[in-house]
Amino acid sequence: MPQAPTASLDQALVGKVAGAQISSVSGDPGAQVQILLRGINTIQRGTTPMILVDGVQMGPTALNTLDLASVESVEIVQGAAAATIYGAQGANGVIQVITKKGKPGKVQIDFSTSIATNEFLNVGNLRKADMHAFATDANNNVVTSGGVPITLDNTDLTWSGGIVYNALDPNSNANKPYGANFKYYDHFDQFFATAKTTNNLLRLSGGKEKFDFSVSVSNNRQEAAVKNGGYVDRSNFTSNLGFEITKGLTLRSITQLAYTKNTVNHYIYGVFNSRPFVNFDEKDVDGDYGANYGGAGGVNGYNPNYFNQYTDDLVRTIDVIQSFDVTYKFPKFVEINSKFGLNYQNRERIFTILNQTENNNNQAVAYYWAGNFVDDETGEIDNYRTETSFRNSVTKATINFDLEKDFNLSLPIKTSTLVLFDFRKNVENRYTTYAQGLPTYTPYTPANANNFRVVQGTDFTGRIPFVTYGYLVNQRVEYGDLFGFSAGFRTDYSSAFGEGSKPFTFPRGDAFFRFSGLSFWDDSGISNSILDLKIRAAYGEAGIQPFAFDRYVTLPAGTVGGSSIFKAPVTSANSGLNVEVSKETEVGLDVVINALDNTAWLNNITLSATYWDRSSDDVIYEVDAAPSTGVGNIKTNAFGLASNGFQFSLSTKAYHSDDFTWNLTTNFGKATSEITSVKGDGEIVVLSAAGSTNYVLRAGEKVGQLYGYKILTRVDEINPLTGQPFIPANEQGNYTVASNGYVVERATKQPYFTADLFSFGDPNPNFNMSFINDFTYKDWLSFGFQLDVVSGNRLYNQTKEWMYRDGIHSDYNNPITIDGETGNWTAFYRGAYAQRAFNGTKDYFYEDASFWRLRNVNVAVDFAKLFKLKGFRQLQLAFTGRNIWTKTNYSGLDPEISSGSLNSAWDRGTDHNTMPNLKTYQIGLNIGL
Amino acid sequence: MKNILNQKSLLALIAAMVISFSCQDQLDVKNPNEPTIESLNSENGIVNFAQGSVYLNGFVDLKYVDGVLGRFLGNGYHDLWADVVGAEAANVFMNQIGAPFNVILDDDSEVPNPGSPRSQAELIKNNNVNANAGNNPLFYDWAYMYSLNNVCNVILNSVESVEFVSDADTKRNVLKAWAHWWKAFAYSRIGSVYVAGVINDEPNVTNGNYVTNAQILDEANRQLDLLEDILETQTNTPVYTEFLGRLIPDFFQQGKGNPLSPDEWKRNINTLRARILLANKRVEDMTNADWNQIITFTTNGIQEGDNVFTVRSNSTGDIISANTGTIATKSTGDPNGEATYKISERLVSDFRAGDQRFDNNFIELDEPWIGESARGNSFNTRWQLVDGGNGIDDVIVYGDKTPGATETYVSVTYEENLLMRAEANIYLGNINAGLQLIDEVRDYQGAGLAALDGSGLSQNQAVEELRSERRVALLFRYVSFYDARRYGILDPLSEGGGRTGAIVIDRDGNLNINATIDYQFMDYFHVPDNELKYNPPVSGSAPVVNSKFM
Repeated sequence: MPQAPTASLDQALVGKVAGAQISSVSGDPGAQVQILLRGINTIQRGTTPMILVDGVQMGPTALNTLDLASVESVEIVQGAAAATIYGAQGANGVIQVITKKGKPGKVQIDFSTSIATNEFLNVGNLRKADMHAFATDANNNVVTSGGVPITLDNTDLTWSGGIVYNALDPNSNANKPYGANFKYYDHFDQFFATAKTTNNLLRLSGGKEKFDFSVSVSNNRQEAAVKNGGYVDRSNFTSNLGFEITKGLTLRSITQLAYTKNTVNHYIYGVFNSRPFVNFDEKDVDGDYGANYGGAGGVNGYNPNYFNQYTDDLVRTIDVIQSFDVTYKFPKFVEINSKFGLNYQNRERIFTILNQTENNNNQAVAYYWAGNFVDDETGEIDNYRTETSFRNSVTKATINFDLEKDFNLSLPIKTSTLVLFDFRKNVENRYTTYAQGLPTYTPYTPANANNFRVVQGTDFTGRIPFVTYGYLVNQRVEYGDLFGFSAGFRTDYSSAFGEGSKPFTFPRGDAFFRFSGLSFWDDSGISNSILDLKIRAAYGEAGIQPFAFDRYVTLPAGTVGGSSIFKAPVTSANSGLNVEVSKETEVGLDVVINALDNTAWLNNITLSATYWDRSSDDVIYEVDAAPSTGVGNIKTNAFGLASNGFQFSLSTKAYHSDDFTWNLTTNFGKATSEITSVKGDGEIVVLSAAGSTNYVLRAGEKVGQLYGYKILTRVDEINPLTGQPFIPANEQGNYTVASNGYVVERATKQPYFTADLFSFGDPNPNFNMSFINDFTYKDWLSFGFQLDVVSGNRLYNQTKEWMYRDGIHSDYNNPITIDGETGNWTAFYRGAYAQRAFNGTKDYFYEDASFWRLRNVNVAVDFAKLFKLKGFRQLQLAFTGRNIWTKTNYSGLDPEISSGSLNSAWDRGTDHNTMPNLKTYQIGLNIGL
Repeated sequence: MKNILNQKSLLALIAAMVISFSCQDQLDVKNPNEPTIESLNSENGIVNFAQGSVYLNGFVDLKYVDGVLGRFLGNGYHDLWADVVGAEAANVFMNQIGAPFNVILDDDSEVPNPGSPRSQAELIKNNNVNANAGNNPLFYDWAYMYSLNNVCNVILNSVESVEFVSDADTKRNVLKAWAHWWKAFAYSRIGSVYVAGVINDEPNVTNGNYVTNAQILDEANRQLDLLEDILETQTNTPVYTEFLGRLIPDFFQQGKGNPLSPDEWKRNINTLRARILLANKRVEDMTNADWNQIITFTTNGIQEGDNVFTVRSNSTGDIISANTGTIATKSTGDPNGEATYKISERLVSDFRAGDQRFDNNFIELDEPWIGESARGNSFNTRWQLVDGGNGIDDVIVYGDKTPGATETYVSVTYEENLLMRAEANIYLGNINAGLQLIDEVRDYQGAGLAALDGSGLSQNQAVEELRSERRVALLFRYVSFYDARRYGILDPLSEGGGRTGAIVIDRDGNLNINATIDYQFMDYFHVPDNELKYNPPVSGSAPVVNSKFM
């Protein structure tokens, strides 16, 4: 595991797993990375993999809560055949985290500290237009419809009038500089800031014959790279204690405690969507910020400083992960292992919105930050509490026979029988309240508010229990190291199906054959260059459970005034719902080659390549019902999905000498997922969490495909749906191709978009690839870098489309020539936003977001080794850079952004005002005693 | 020996763990948070559902919602089509859908709709596609009203098996009456807005047999007949009143929102019958028989002081938000930001000079508000609707953002009843009788205008008084679109439609006093594609699109 400045495990996984798409989709502190291990197997549960810590499943705790420094290693299980072993929810793959153990010997003390600076990425040079097309007077003052220069009244921060701006006027030309009454403010400079990250760790570890221990405490603190944007502060305690109670009987107790405080709170949508002449740092006579100075600042203009002044977000999370592992090895044949894990999380979010009725600007323009639960300006304290306990126990018996050793047979056969029982119970208790109508005096408590309510609906308040248990039987047989196979099944019960329901059973199997195990291999001398050659294949099925209440039809209850009420659910549960079933076949090849024998170059080239093919049936989604049924949508086994992919990992000691080693690993993955069937052959419309962009899921098309209006590049382009030109022949004369390559209407200068919606094509990247290089010189200098490549990735630039709305985006300053007339024609850019549908989904905003990214560069010098210092195991100074170079054609801040909900199956390709990744420089000191 | 002990204890531990977790009753979790449909079999259960589902499923909750556009009572489409308000926000095409095809200014310069596509029919045709999900303007009225219809089907379906604590017959009848009323209301809205619909009495299912909007309106009237039959058997007993009071949210039960007596309810039925007839025929198609029918209905319609169906906000926004729950409150405040819907100059010009209702509710802005010109410029305005009114006593207030202050009329009202009777009288030649009724409405609302009684207006003049009075008196009462349609204002200028002599503030802020507006809006709308995709019409169905606009 490399150092990641965020000290989070998920960030460290980016680029490390061949075949997986692991992306850092937001630069906010505490943001999780998006993980797709292998194919899209379910729609409603997304791509979130199962996380195991030391063999026990983790429930509510996020991967990035674990302390990276206490992790020994991580194993990734991608295939369903392997995942079947881990339980009913293993279809998305498994991430196995192994915690560091103490080693026998002297007690070791490790201390690390680091500090990093972070800056937001803007690789596409996103910025605002510095010239405008507003009406001005002779002195270049921006004027109202009455011709009067606009001024800002500092009693209530309102402008004296509105601007005059006719964006669709064919003569409107954004070529006037700011500088008279309206200045140009660089809002990115005003609101983005350099942020600091610190990490500290202290660990003690050691062990004796029958006891080992490792205990560590650490702290990580990351600031948001936005002015007053808050921070995340996380402290971890980890202990790993091992005991041998008696011969053959061992006990291990692993404890992780984490306390996380998250105050991240900012409103960057307001930064992007305000016209650049708004000086947001202005305060009124009372010293308060104004929310909105009037319509001139942009229809969605809003002061992020106002948001900061009047809102406060605080999330405190306590995570406990405790597991016990008891193993008893009988003298012969049988090993029994029982694990019990408890993962508890208590999360409390307090979102406060102050009473804004005494803000002059609010009184003048009635702009305010509304509450989450009540829409007014009197303020609100929202308190979301979630307490989750997740229990997982796994008990397994392994029976091993070695026919050669145990029974003195001359057959080199080993068998292994696994019988496993596991149990999982998750109970989530949600309790959400709000206090509305806050006092204008301070201090106060929620008790001083006008109204206090417990929020209705299971999303906010309620108890959600979910229980699954099942058993696995698996038989493995190996013949020497030549070949082997295993077969088994697992059977699961689930509370989603209730008491007395039938269990679900899923088969699995795998086999390998090692050519290098044949005797001719050694005889023929192939073994000198091809050290090892193995083929393997596996098949497995895994179930994906419905959500806890998907099958229980209920009536939401609440109160109206003083009455209790029931209502009909908008989304109806479905008692006929089945489990989703994911099936996978994979074949693979593992080979180890010595390319240049007896040289220092390219020793031990290890290639591991896999082709996989998956399908999922009965995939659950909320399918629209006809509105005349009165039902909004209904949970349905609606989809069939299929995906396939190819991946390889190639690692080699590229060069080695006595003093110098260069290790190179190349990871490659290519995968695509499509919808094979939709119930009733219909289409399912799904809404993006990122706002205005709709996705449509249809049979035969890729998951996550976008539909929208297409811009034309030829006046006589033919509509593939009708075979006729998009623009009728007799109207084509009204159109021409502008200098930017797009068809525009001559009279209006607006671009032409098709009336019909068209698919924008496969949204899946062509491939993901990483090159990881590590160099060491002697034992004291190390250097490494990781280069990630994502090819064919596409992103809908919704951020840009919004910035086109009010003439804010710098594209408005790009001149266009139409019929020989050159200018910064606002009608073209405004038309790109407004034609057919305002803010409609249009291919004009769908961009290639392929990129090369220098993910990591690190140099470390160990002075303890260099100067052979006594008493130190390590005295290392390390420099790390992250995301310091990116090459892309994407025009937004960061091509890696995704604004959809995390790990969504389909909502993966929209950039909608999300915090970009950060460029980070870190310096760290690691001391080992 | 020690070894053995440990083995035993270990095995016992493991066995205990396996046994303790493998009990099947662990799986019996159900949903511990919410009642099931069986709870409707109790008196309290059905009462809870009858109140909550009608107001929340009928007017608030849908699979697609847009806060800026508004929920059912805050959705301004009808008033955008009727040029009562304009909108600048683009949510669900609210800015485009009310933009006229063409505006001719005083200097004869033409300002075509800058939106694309230019015509409303084309815009609607392009966007009436399932893939647009919640971004299809045709979705909302349809989905809300069928959602309302469905919960009424659930009530009717459950009511026979409810075990009432006492007085079962009366309570059962009140619940049935409740369901038939809201079904009638739902069908009357569907039939008045869409070209076709389905008639559906089964809970949670539907059928693909689309019928014409005339048949839908017949079904609305049939529901009213069923309701009337039930009310004939009821008297205003304490049980009846108390039980109906349990179906209406307690904070609605003030002003005109108290439980209706059977006779009040019957008068509401007659007024709604009159509206169904009036709203769905063009004035030129109304026969004397029709007008006489209106006279009959309205003579037996809502009287002064009668309770009607109202909605109010409360501070916790249980049904609607005090700030944004209705078109009135969404139109209140400074158009520079606060007001989502901007007051139309053509609404203001329908107030007569000196009308106290205008003085009490509007102020003139220092400088005209000029909206984003790319969104059409017919909605620029000099006027602002004032929150809570200007404090003139005994004059109606349109919008008040104080929680609970505004009584929103969901259905028919006393004033609407009077004005329908006035209109029928005017068209039947009893002009002065009609004018007297207009005076009654004006007096009732505190207009403070000189009486029209005895003014000797011609029939055309009287119709114009009536038309403008309906705009003013029934403002934000969900009838403006019907009026614009039946007076032909939505039709193309070339076919005699549009509005002439109109006040328009152009995009440069100039006041035009004799402008012409050519709206070219649709009269009845296509069935939304979200319905058609999941419930395709069976053969023999009525057309589901309005062929005039395809």
